[in-house]
Amino acid sequence: MTTYWKQVWVIIWKDLVLEIRSRERIASMAAFAVLAGVLFNFSIDTTTTRTQDVAAGLIWMTLVFGGLIGVGRTFQLEAEDGAFQGVLMSPAPKDAIFLAKTAANFVLLYAMSLLVLGVFAVFFGLEVGSNFPWVALVLGVGALGFVALGTLFAAVSTGTNMGETLLPVLLFPLLVPMVIYGVGTTTRLIAGRPFDEVEANVRMLGAFALAAVAAGAVLFRYVVED
Amino acid sequence: MIEDEVVLEARGLRREYGSVIAVRGLDLAMAAGEFLTIFGPNGAGKSSLLSMLGGAMRPSAGTVRVRGQPLSFSDHDWQHRIGMMSHRGFLYGRLTAEENLRFYGSLFGLKDLDERVPARLARVGLESRARFEVRQLSHGMRQRLSLARALLHDPDLVLLDEPYTGLDPSAASVLRSVLGELRDGRRTVVMVTHNLREGLAMATRLAVQVAGEFAWEGLNAGVDRDAFERLYHDVVEGRA
Repeated sequence: MTTYWKQVWVIIWKDLVLEIRSRERIASMAAFAVLAGVLFNFSIDTTTTRTQDVAAGLIWMTLVFGGLIGVGRTFQLEAEDGAFQGVLMSPAPKDAIFLAKTAANFVLLYAMSLLVLGVFAVFFGLEVGSNFPWVALVLGVGALGFVALGTLFAAVSTGTNMGETLLPVLLFPLLVPMVIYGVGTTTRLIAGRPFDEVEANVRMLGAFALAAVAAGAVLFRYVVED
Repeated sequence: MIEDEVVLEARGLRREYGSVIAVRGLDLAMAAGEFLTIFGPNGAGKSSLLSMLGGAMRPSAGTVRVRGQPLSFSDHDWQHRIGMMSHRGFLYGRLTAEENLRFYGSLFGLKDLDERVPARLARVGLESRARFEVRQLSHGMRQRLSLARALLHDPDLVLLDEPYTGLDPSAASVLRSVLGELRDGRRTVVMVTHNLREGLAMATRLAVQVAGEFAWEGLNAGVDRDAFERLYHDVVEGRA
């Protein structure tokens, strides 16, 4: 393994160990996911609304807001004792730091995505069936795009007086295309449509995610440099 | 000082925070083996100066070079040469002392962490606390761990910001001993402190920073503490 990837790996390891020990973000994201599922379950009249028509939108909405809770705190955990300054003063390239933090956030958000899917499957009686791997793929690709942009803009908002309040203002407009493709694709897959029918949408989601990762890797250094 | 001996060179270093000027056009050149102690009142811009010398803060104007290489944010070689102990520890509270050093050692690409980390913990008297999370350590222990972190990669240039703050006599003794080892003729050290006794004991050069610039600087040729204290007050009050 090259030094670059060792640096990426050790930052991912550090972020996940900190999260496992503190459980700050995992607990709040999971609680939000379950609560959202429960509330939507009671707020939708299933005698007049087909749950599979609205489930995808609700799943993605839960992901976006739940993800915001987790991603928004990415750099607050780092602020303790100025630790992130120590990381920035190390020889680790800034893009390696970004990729690592994005990867660690992805692990958290993807775990939350699967939890959300499970919660909605239980409460809404969704039968994803053989399309489960494809739904999981779509949520994974969407989660990657979300955390890439979220990590970048969390770094921006942490460095401002507005802090977490600024994050949704910066992030939501850029998430619109991803959410539109994500919801549309998930709706069809939940309805049992074949993957071929949504493959183009998944490619678009993938392109969006890769563009977000690449843009974040390039721009991150300008955000974190004082 | 001949040109190729210069380890640290700052030219026209300036830092502004809005309308407040923390450091105003400061020049500094230091050779290997020199130990500069900077004294000064609160708000004199000492920590800002140190942060710029360490590459932790971008100057509003001016340049910093370490062994002739400018501190560039796109190039990471110079970071191997600098070790900085800030008044913030740069430590993760939920990682153990050992994990913190291993983490930073990996970022610096060090290969011998299995030997190096225990040795550095032992040097600062923390071998028995290696498996303790940092948040469980006292302030003095964190200070010592922070020093071990700053020196882990054997930097040429060591920057120390208030290292004696909050240390008990025993911890101060450990710190004094480790800092004494830095005077090996190979390293260059810049220390900011309010502790006159420790600052004078270590330094080969002295400076008093007031309002963002060196109001006085000179060599430390066995300066008497009382005499220096009088000089310090004269300089600070003269610039107030």
